[in-house]
Amino acid sequence: MASSIVDKSRRNDRLAAWLIKAGGLFVIVAVIGILLLIANVALPLFYSPSAEKLADVPAELQSLVASDASGTHQTRELGEKGNISVRLLPDNRIDVQRKMIEKDLLGNEKVSQQSYQLSDSLPGAISAVWLGRKGQNLYAATANGWLVRWDLADEGQGRLVETVEAFKDHRKITALTTLLGDTSLAVGDAKGQITTWMPVRKPGSGEDKQLTLIHHLPGFMQPVQRLVASPRDKSLAAFDAAGTIKLLHMTSERLLLELKAGSGVAAAAFADNGRKLVVAGSDGKVSVWKLSIPHPEVSFSTLFGKVWYEGYDKPEYVWQSSAATDDFEAKISLMPLIFGTFKATLFAMLFAVPLALLGALYTSQFMSSTLKGRIKPAVEIMAAVPSVVIGFLAGLWLAPLMDKNLLMLFLAVVIVPAMLLIAVFSWKAVADTAVGRRLKGYEFICMMPVVLLGLWLSGLIAPPLEATLFGADLKQWLYSSLGVRYDQRNSIIIAIALGFAVIPIIFTIAEDALSNVPRNLAAASLALGASRWQTAWRVILPSALPGVFSAIMIGFGRAVGETMIVLMATGNTPIMSWSLFNGLRSLSANIAVEIPEAPLFGTLYRTLFLSAVLLFVLTFIINTAAELLRQRFRKKYGRY
Amino acid sequence: MVLTAGATLAVILFMTLTLMAVILGNSLGYFWVKGLVRFKLNDGSYVMGQLTAAESHALTKAKRLQLKVGNRDLYSQDFRWVDESEISSKDIPKDAYLLERFEHGNFFGFLKELKKADGSTVAADAAALQQAHSEIMKKQKGLKQIKGQMSDLNQSSEALRLKIQKLEYRGAEANSAAINSLNEERAKLTATFDGLNEKLNQQQAELGKVTAVFSDAAGADKELPLLEIVRFYQPNSMSIFAKAGAYLVKINELLFDDPRESNTEGGLFPAIFGTVMMVLLMSVFSLPFGVIAAIYLREYAKEGKLVQLVRIAVNNLAGVPSIVYGVFGLGFFVYGIGGSLDKLFFPERLPTPVFGTGGILWSSLTLALLTVPVVIVATEESLASIPKGIREGSLALGATKFQTLTKVLLPMATPGIMTGLVLSMARAVGEVAPLMMVGVVKLAPTLPFDTQFPFFHMDRKFMHLGFHIFDVGFQSPNVEAAKPMVYVTTLLLLLIVIAASSLAIRFRNQMRRRYTTSHF
Repeated sequence: MASSIVDKSRRNDRLAAWLIKAGGLFVIVAVIGILLLIANVALPLFYSPSAEKLADVPAELQSLVASDASGTHQTRELGEKGNISVRLLPDNRIDVQRKMIEKDLLGNEKVSQQSYQLSDSLPGAISAVWLGRKGQNLYAATANGWLVRWDLADEGQGRLVETVEAFKDHRKITALTTLLGDTSLAVGDAKGQITTWMPVRKPGSGEDKQLTLIHHLPGFMQPVQRLVASPRDKSLAAFDAAGTIKLLHMTSERLLLELKAGSGVAAAAFADNGRKLVVAGSDGKVSVWKLSIPHPEVSFSTLFGKVWYEGYDKPEYVWQSSAATDDFEAKISLMPLIFGTFKATLFAMLFAVPLALLGALYTSQFMSSTLKGRIKPAVEIMAAVPSVVIGFLAGLWLAPLMDKNLLMLFLAVVIVPAMLLIAVFSWKAVADTAVGRRLKGYEFICMMPVVLLGLWLSGLIAPPLEATLFGADLKQWLYSSLGVRYDQRNSIIIAIALGFAVIPIIFTIAEDALSNVPRNLAAASLALGASRWQTAWRVILPSALPGVFSAIMIGFGRAVGETMIVLMATGNTPIMSWSLFNGLRSLSANIAVEIPEAPLFGTLYRTLFLSAVLLFVLTFIINTAAELLRQRFRKKYGRY
Repeated sequence: MVLTAGATLAVILFMTLTLMAVILGNSLGYFWVKGLVRFKLNDGSYVMGQLTAAESHALTKAKRLQLKVGNRDLYSQDFRWVDESEISSKDIPKDAYLLERFEHGNFFGFLKELKKADGSTVAADAAALQQAHSEIMKKQKGLKQIKGQMSDLNQSSEALRLKIQKLEYRGAEANSAAINSLNEERAKLTATFDGLNEKLNQQQAELGKVTAVFSDAAGADKELPLLEIVRFYQPNSMSIFAKAGAYLVKINELLFDDPRESNTEGGLFPAIFGTVMMVLLMSVFSLPFGVIAAIYLREYAKEGKLVQLVRIAVNNLAGVPSIVYGVFGLGFFVYGIGGSLDKLFFPERLPTPVFGTGGILWSSLTLALLTVPVVIVATEESLASIPKGIREGSLALGATKFQTLTKVLLPMATPGIMTGLVLSMARAVGEVAPLMMVGVVKLAPTLPFDTQFPFFHMDRKFMHLGFHIFDVGFQSPNVEAAKPMVYVTTLLLLLIVIAASSLAIRFRNQMRRRYTTSHF
């Protein structure tokens, strides 16, 4: 009987040991699993594309692809408005035919026909022509490396906009096409290079824009024969005479795929909204590839580098994930977000670290122990204030308040410390009296009214000062005199709010570290005649430095990942400016803002997961370093 | 220098106190019925409302007052600034009414007459209005029964629809008989529903005929069905006690009623319920795992490189930004597990997701992951603080390791574990960012727990106090009018969190006191 109970409890013990070990290991696996799973969603961003060759098209369908949009005779259908066509004439002139359909209110159609010729004198013989898909812009290229652009928007005539010497070495330009959206022009030349051009406003040239070289795409060893733009995104297919096909993306400058057609190419086109490529060979065979290019716009340079986007005057870091139109060029640079994250963190730390560290030093070294028992829980409760509460107060209470009393804030930054200094000096007079000794350990309570007094004083001075110096409106003055734009939800607000959130964290950990320095060190220092402050600053603080440093790092880690405060207290504008008066957008807030609208497994969705991975890795490094520091500190002084 | 350090502490405390003061000051006053002031302006017109703010111009020193004028349906804005120089006289009309309405916010005005359902008018005073209003409200309550029946019918019909969908998915041909009978059943339910609906509409229209005519300060008449009035006061002739009573009534409404006017008025009940249920559900997941992991680390694992690594991993888990957990919850729980569940068990409903979208289950799991480190650290600490002699004593008496654990160590460590639990709850209550991705909504039509089988609806979305603050404060169309409600919500949330944290701190101090003195 007794032995069966023992057996049973032994069995239970073994079972429990096994279960507990499994459970413990599960938690550890979970940590690693989280990172792997998030990374796994982000990873397909960097998969290389693939293509699958489908069966060759039957001969009777060949006529369908026999004529693609390039060539010397091009027609663009303009929907209900008619069509426009251009034809290159043998004498270097271009013939334009335009059919216009006008509908009156009753639905009667009036068809008119226009025809004119472009006979501007050109620097060379035309070697390629391209009529934009909207029928507005006509591009031509010459055999000696010039690009010509006409504007066909006006009725009855074409206006020569510009002739640009594209290549100094006067190489022959062999192929032209505009990419989706008709803004960028892809140019292929006899040296096998492929470049894209777009009109850019030049400094000093006023309104006129000039075709400018924007992107160099991977090219061929021999002349480019043909360029075909994708109807789906800003990518294109390039062909050379030997039948090599390269799929390229403009923004990311990536070589997406390289395919091989059996022979030279007679005609080519995208089908199925850019998902398939149809190529008619000069040998009469037609091949179809099914393309699988999930994220062509993603590359290391588009995520982290400066990119010259369409419509911009210079290369920039831009985050703008979506727009109203389909032919929009996605701008997914993470740099403005990383910048915003660090800007917010840095300002918050500048605000929080001195306050928290000095406060912790005071609490651990100088405060009376009864009061310490009250203050520490108070700070811990401060740590428990949900970030959504801090964010809400920062956005809806502090921001409008500061908007109204900006000058008062600036004054307070000067006046409050000044008042405190005065208070500190006058304290010296009473410090050695009986009253002063009794107050030892309670000094900071006497400082509270001084802070209040300072605030009140700056509130008193600010309005008349603002009225006399800045015409009653400091913000207007800032803008008109210094050119500084003031956002209501700006970086000062963030610094205060985020600082408020990290102060208790830094305070608690630093206070722990400072308190754990053995008392005999302090006693020795005091016995040698050092003052209280000298002891704290030169003996205690250096001894506790690893712990203090880990406190700062943990606070930093928290500030980097904080979401709600940044989301609510900034305007969430992804700009890169160090100005205190501008808003920002952080990685974490960006995820919260954009992920509800991100299509599942789309580029945006995966990019947001990538930024989550970045956040994870960043905080992982910071926290691990802090933890190692703390363990070293513990080893040094023991746990209690 | 000592004093400078002291001053920084003073600044920190000052900031905390300011935060509390701002929240308290803005929220506590919200439910107090404020008096109505009427101004006669220089052009002869009248304005009436509650004084909300005053400011003077920086240069001219001219003072201006902000009035909450209410009557959003008449004036299209809630607030109005009046220059003091424009005002020719001011009075406090005793007979002014403040109506809280179900729509369009408050109405300030004077009662002119009451109209009965048959169109006859009665000269009216407050007592008559009170009587008529409570009568209407009583009848309205009677209609609730019909509404309940209708919602039951609706749910049964929805259940049938899903059944039909399932059968159709399995093969419309093979199950055509069953489908037809179900369709008939459903048609019957729909017919009953329509009948009830008509009855309800009729009765409601009948009730709506009882109206009261009010005039605003400017003298414009407004006829309001009594049905649209939540309650009314004559604030200028109320005693302090009457106002205190009204205050309590409103707090009661706040805690136990549904929200009105796109969450900017009324109660917070669904949000409180959602928060509490989510946190409890989360504790069910996080407590066992956290405790087991801590026991493993402290009692079973051998100290060494691995345990050190694990500690670092756990501390890291605590330091990972909450938004990353949200992203993980979305990718793994919602789309990963939820999507697979849908494919396995509800293929007929695709592409409409059941579990493949945010819900209370996924939210609790995500938050459980986020708060597990808190439980682990607290449990470990409390196990560590139990003197070694106790363990050895138990083992020496012949108990197995497991018996020592369950009979001796765990009971002793309970306060520490409770600390961890309460702290994790406090953290979960205040966490919003990850929830925004895995199941919180601004307005959930149904609670995640009701009388319909299977009672707990894990797939439903829910409302949450923290998200309520963000949503009403930052995404509602009329932020200025919504602010008081946000302050009230904030206060409530803060009270919950502070209460929980204080409790945790208390437990911890208890634990420390118990063992620091009892070294063997």
